Amino acid sequence: MRYFRLHRIFIAQYLKKLMEYKVDFLLGAIGMIITQALQLLFLGIIFSQIPALIGWSFEEILFIYGFSLIAKSLDHLFTDNLWMVGYRIVRKGEFDKYLTRPINTLYHVIAENFCVDAFGEILTCLLLLGYSIPKLSLPFHWYTTPLLLIVVVFATLIYTSLKIMTSAISFWTKASGHITHMLYMTNDFSKYPISIYNKTVQTVITYVIPFAFTAYYPASYFLTGENPLFCIGGTVIAGSVLFALALFVWNRGLAAYESAGS
Amino acid sequence: MENMIYAENLRKEFKKIIKEPGLKGAAKALFKPKREIITAVDDISFTVSKGEILGFIGPNGAGKSTVIKMLTGILMPTSGVCRINGKIPKEDRKNYVREIGVVFGQRTQLWWDLALRETYAVLKEIYQVPDEQYKKRMAFLNEVLELDDFITSPVRTLSLGQRMRADIAASLLHSPKVLFLDEPTIGLDVVVKENIRSAIKKINEDEGTTVILTTHDLADIEYLCERIVMIDKGKKVFDGAISELKHNFGDVRTLEFELTGVPDFQLLDYSRHFKMKENDIRAELDGSTVRVRFDTSKVSVEEIVSYTLRTVHVKDLNIKDVEIEEIIKRLYRREVSL
Repeated sequence: MRYFRLHRIFIAQYLKKLMEYKVDFLLGAIGMIITQALQLLFLGIIFSQIPALIGWSFEEILFIYGFSLIAKSLDHLFTDNLWMVGYRIVRKGEFDKYLTRPINTLYHVIAENFCVDAFGEILTCLLLLGYSIPKLSLPFHWYTTPLLLIVVVFATLIYTSLKIMTSAISFWTKASGHITHMLYMTNDFSKYPISIYNKTVQTVITYVIPFAFTAYYPASYFLTGENPLFCIGGTVIAGSVLFALALFVWNRGLAAYESAGS
Repeated sequence: MENMIYAENLRKEFKKIIKEPGLKGAAKALFKPKREIITAVDDISFTVSKGEILGFIGPNGAGKSTVIKMLTGILMPTSGVCRINGKIPKEDRKNYVREIGVVFGQRTQLWWDLALRETYAVLKEIYQVPDEQYKKRMAFLNEVLELDDFITSPVRTLSLGQRMRADIAASLLHSPKVLFLDEPTIGLDVVVKENIRSAIKKINEDEGTTVILTTHDLADIEYLCERIVMIDKGKKVFDGAISELKHNFGDVRTLEFELTGVPDFQLLDYSRHFKMKENDIRAELDGSTVRVRFDTSKVSVEEIVSYTLRTVHVKDLNIKDVEIEEIIKRLYRREVSL
């Protein structure tokens, strides 16, 4: 409860800070919208040539694409500061500050920033889902909405946990931003139905870096209603296991932290 | 008296990869790293009583900050124990840091982009300071640290002196029992330094806050501390009252002679006359004054005076008291061994 209250205060402070740098915010927002618009344009061009992809229709592809952005944008919105841990905070010894405050260090780092750039992704996500859902006849039951919420939470947790783990590497190596970046780039694979990839890629994004559970698997369940145990259960398990692992790595990292000279 | 800070055999080692110079050296270190263990802090033990202000001094790179970082729970000691306010920092970090305040002079703990007042509002939540107490506390801190002029400015626009006062206020917001100050007067002008010194003294006197302070400005030490711990190369070299330091190493004295004629200085050759090493006796000319520093265990004041009066014409003579700064300088230079 206390952490919720704190989070509200952090976000309020963040918005105040945003007002300090209006031009920066405006340009950032415009940039984000252009990026997303171009991606959509690109998708539109491809599908004007190919009406369907390995059994998936244009609308279904758009749904999967849009679905992949839910977890990605939420993670982006709330935990963006983790990038800074790997790039700067540990290397420069700025992590000292978090260790002298009576709140959880991981929470503190995450809460401190709130990335409004993510609203570009959220907007795209809503557009894609809003366009594709009415054209698809998705199976709907009383449990669809609760399942969706569960999936969103655990899929976001997959993103966040991977970021926590790779950022925490910097406690040993001083900088790990590029590792996070490298890993993060593989999430592009999850925007499309994974059946278009070869076996190796499929295995990697299912079992090694399970980004497929943030998009394709749960999305395909909501499209077809098939295979809930694997598609939904897999997301929950992947999210939980990764999060536990992330907390473990983070806490080990805290003990290894060496600060910087002053 | 009750011990607030207790450190026993604290040790911190860092692994370091040795690189040869240049790009080739860097490449070599990447594939065949040569590792070396650096002992930054080497078996340091000391205690600080409740309500005491301890000066923690030593030359650059002696390991002061590393000790402070272990005491504040930032670094994990390689071995040894520290217990502060009855708690072991790394074991119970969240509860431990609730009752301490930390200031690193070199690095701000404030939020760069927020107005100072907002920073305090966030800290109030983090430390769960009740509204009533927060108001009182802010009024008090405003008074001793004079924050009013810049409390609405964003932290990035503050001058160093303002920022340091703001940082100190931030560390005191939750009324900590122990205050760790790592170079709180670094780079500040005399007026701000004095303001900060008197604020520390006031907090210590009013609230009985235990303070551990590192500094390179010995005026801070003379004003604030009765006791100092000095470390060098990771080892403790002195632990005791300032008066004790003066007593033990007070054999270094300074005499000043004002000459009638400056060229007379050429006639004075103390080290040859007394057959002493340059380190044990040193004379320098400052205007028309000759300043002679010497070791009284090797030569007496009387001998110096009579030699000088015999050799040159002296207008005025001054025997100076032992200065702590001089002793410490000599300790740093390792002219005095302990």
